[in-house]
Formats: sequence, C-alpha cells, structure tokens
Amino acid sequence: MTWLAWRQLRAQLLVTGVAVAAVAVCLVVLGLQIRDGHHDAVARCGDACGQALRGFQSRFEGRLYLADALLVVTPALLGMFWGAPLIARELESGTHRLVWNQSVSRRRWLVVRLVVVTAAAAAVTGLFSVLLTWAASPFDAVAADRFTAVMFGTRNLAPVAYTCCGVVMGALLGLVLRRTVPAMALTALVFAAVQVAVPMTVRPHLAAPAHGSQVMTADTIRSLSFLGERADVEGLSAPNAWVVETSRLLTADGRTVDLDRYHGCLSGQFDVMAQCLAAMDLHVDVAYHPGDRYWRFQWLESLLYGAAALLLAALALWRIRAA
Amino acid sequence: MFTSALETEGLTRRYGRRTALDACTLRVPAGRVVGLVGPNGAGKSTLLQLACGLIAPTAGRVTVLGARPGTRLERVGFVAQDTPVYAALSVADHLRLGERLNPGWDAAFAQKRVAAIGLDPRQRAGRLSGGQRAQLALTVAAAKRPELLILDEPVAALDPLARDGFLRTLVESVTELGATAILSSHLLSDVERVCDHLIVLANGRVRLAGDVTALLDAHDQGSGAGPVRLEELVLSYLRGGVR
Repeated sequence: MTWLAWRQLRAQLLVTGVAVAAVAVCLVVLGLQIRDGHHDAVARCGDACGQALRGFQSRFEGRLYLADALLVVTPALLGMFWGAPLIARELESGTHRLVWNQSVSRRRWLVVRLVVVTAAAAAVTGLFSVLLTWAASPFDAVAADRFTAVMFGTRNLAPVAYTCCGVVMGALLGLVLRRTVPAMALTALVFAAVQVAVPMTVRPHLAAPAHGSQVMTADTIRSLSFLGERADVEGLSAPNAWVVETSRLLTADGRTVDLDRYHGCLSGQFDVMAQCLAAMDLHVDVAYHPGDRYWRFQWLESLLYGAAALLLAALALWRIRAA
Repeated sequence: MFTSALETEGLTRRYGRRTALDACTLRVPAGRVVGLVGPNGAGKSTLLQLACGLIAPTAGRVTVLGARPGTRLERVGFVAQDTPVYAALSVADHLRLGERLNPGWDAAFAQKRVAAIGLDPRQRAGRLSGGQRAQLALTVAAAKRPELLILDEPVAALDPLARDGFLRTLVESVTELGATAILSSHLLSDVERVCDHLIVLANGRVRLAGDVTALLDAHDQGSGAGPVRLEELVLSYLRGGVR
C-alpha cells in the first residue's frame, strides 16, 4: 500500500521538487548575502550602528517579505494540490472502486495515503522553513520581531504543523464534496480563514499575558503606526516580545489623557507632535508575551494544529466507511 | 467452499426517495457463471455494489461467501462499471498494485493473461482502448484469485470484437480459478453465451432466477408449446406476461 501511495504522489512530488529546489537555491544565496550585508554593516559602523543596521534592514526586507509570503501560502497550496485531490480525484475518476476492492480495507488505504502525503508535504514545508529561518536569522536578530503575528508563522516549527493540518483538511473536504476543484477552492478558503483567525483569537490566549507599562517617549511615539481620536494607540512594539493589547494614553496618575490637551498636540508636524505628547509624561498599560515564551508558543501552536489534523483525519476515517 | 456465493434477504437500497432495489431475496449457488440481466435502472449495479460492500443496504441482509460484504476483501474480485483504471499508471504498475495490495496475488497468472491479451506492460493505462482497459481491470481482479468475481456491465462499452475477447478471457479465468462469477448486463445476448445461471431484475425486483437449463426445461413443460429461446423467456418475464 505504501508503494501505491508513493507512486500516486510521484508526479506531484517531481513538480514540487523542482519548485522547492529553486526556492532552496534562492534562499541559500539570500542567506549568504544577508550574512555579508550584516557583517559589512557592523564592521564599519563605528558609533553610528543604528543608522548602518537600518540600512541593512531596508536592503533585505523586500526579498525577505517575498520569501515570508511564499511560506505563508505554502501550507494552503499543499492542502489544495496534494490534500484535496487525495480522495476526491479517486471518487471523480471512479478508481476508488478499483482500489477499495483489493485486499486492503479502505480505512487502511486512507491511513497510509494520508501518512505518506502529509509526511511528504511536511518535509517540503520543513525544508523551506529551515532554510528561511537560517537565511533570515541575522536580519531577525536586528529586527527583533519574530514573535509578531506574521513572522511567528514563517519561522521554525509552525509552518510544518500548518501544512499537516492543511493537507488533512483538503483530503476531508475532498471526501465530503466528492469533487476535486470545489474541494480545492473550499480548502483554500477555510484554511485562509483559520490562518487569519488563529493569530487573532487563539494564539494570544495560549498563555496568560504579562502586564507592564511603557513610557511614551518621543521615539516610542514616532514608532507607532496609529494614534486614534480617543487617545488609543496601535503598533506599539517591544524587542522580541509580542504586544497583544495596549491601553489608551495614560497620564502619570493612571487616568486617560485629557482629550483636549491630546488633540492640541495632534495638529502640526509629526515630529513636533511626538515632542508635544512626550512632554506630557504619558504611558500606556500593555499586555504582552515576553520573548522567552517564543518556543513555548511555537510548540503549543504546533500541537494545536497537529491535534486539529488528527481530529480531521479521524473524521475522514469515520466518514469513508459510508462513502 | 460455501454452497452459496451470494445470499440476500429482503435487501433494499434507497437513494433519497428513489428505491433502487426493493426487498430482493435470492441465492446464488457457488461455482456458477451468473448472468444478472435487466433494463437500465433495474438495480443491477446497486445489487453488485451492495455485494462487494461499496455501499451499505437501507434494509435487509446480504451475505457474500458466508460473510458480511467488505469483510472478505481478498476473496471477492470486483470489476466496476466502465472498468476504472489509473490513467497515469502503466499496465505493469497496475500489476504491481495488485501484487502489493493482495496477499494471494498470482503474479504468474497475471503475467500470462497480460501476454495473452497482448498488452504492452509499459503502456500507460490512460492510453489503452476500452477493450484493453476492461481486460486489464479483469486481470487485476482475477489475479488476486478470488472465490467470487463480480463484474458490473463489463462489456457495455466494448465493440463486438472486444466483447468477444473479454468474455473469452473471463470464461478462461473463471475456469482456471474455479470461482463463481456474476456479471451484469442490460443485454441478455452479452451474457447468454457464458452464463449457466440467470437472474432477471426489473424495477428493483427479482423477476426470474435459476439455472438456465432448469429455467428452459420448466418453461417447456409448463407451456407445452415446445422449446423456447432464453431471450423470449426473459422478455416475457420482463413484460410480466408469465406468472
């Protein structure tokens, strides 16, 4: 049975293999360039290292974003092109009536095929993730943002777990819908929804966040992405940590800043505004996950997706009896 | 060896509100080549898929070689309607598939059959003609050495020459295996030549069942009008003209 599972995957494996090899070469080249760039920036910066490192970041962030984006969609692509046709194509072409009438029960058939295809998909994503994590590591050390919502899912273990879940989800949807193309479309849709929902609703609660306060200096204010009408702020970041919740701007006695004074500062140039707000001695309360929780979160989220994959596989095994 | 290859009792299968098979009770003795005949939509495919466990009954009971369908996979060979094969796999790959998935696989038998049919082992199954594809599907089903071989409309899509070749292969295989075979068709003429037991289905019900010689003899004696052809007999049952 394992032979058949491999034989049926062979064509897809060859195509994906070529793509993966090309991506791998690009990542190795990029990783070497990043190392050179980092070495150059640090070696000759003297006492203007902040400037040199910013230059280093802007030089590589475009290419790294591209690689991140590719790794973000890889689990969904594998779920669509490897997972969804796994059962649906058999049902469509009628070959299930051939293969389910050999001396292997259809459950065993499904278990072997799921294991082989999921393992191969996990290996593909794993290789991609390992290379990207390696290539980007000097950059990530400077950016100190690997815990943020997007970066978290493109490094280390998490992409592999996403892939396992995506492939099994595709297989199950193929079994339920019995047609390949609708199963592929629905897999992409559902998986994308899950990938958006989990970082927003589930991941922040994998552990109780720590609480602290952040003094709003002019530099901090300049780094924000958003200052709202009601003194609410967004885009507060801390090195290596993941900020999940930020209060409004508070005065030293813990009350929300006087909105009239706040609006008084908002007019004018951004730089002047930052100075004006900083002079008010403001702070925000933040809920955050410190950087040392990074691996705990990687494991927890991977286990979560792994468990989801097992649950979906169990559903498929239950469902295939009556197919 | 069980004395009956297939037994059903009040076997019923509904698809939504449509009843495909309606309280069907029959007993197919072992060692026969059975023709299952009836018009399109009579429930032939449903009965055969129930027998090999591809679908489950709505009501009633079905026993294959003394066991529940689907539990004795290695003892039942099935050639599905339109004889599905993997288009991307070669003929040799299909034999390898059979070998890997069946403990009782008879590689020598399979090789011999493929050679006799004249199939190129390297040929991709998607490139085979309808007749060759049917022969390949039959070879895979027969080389697992089943005790019961079930074929669902195996020759419906074949031209007369391919039909003749297929039926010859079937009879040779069944004889060599000592197996029971059930093959369905909407045309009596397809199965008449090879079967010695006949089941006639219409509208999901069994209209006639028995050994061909016994059916003909009984009819001759009953009517007193001299020998009839099997075709006339079947037609009269399908029309409901004979009670």
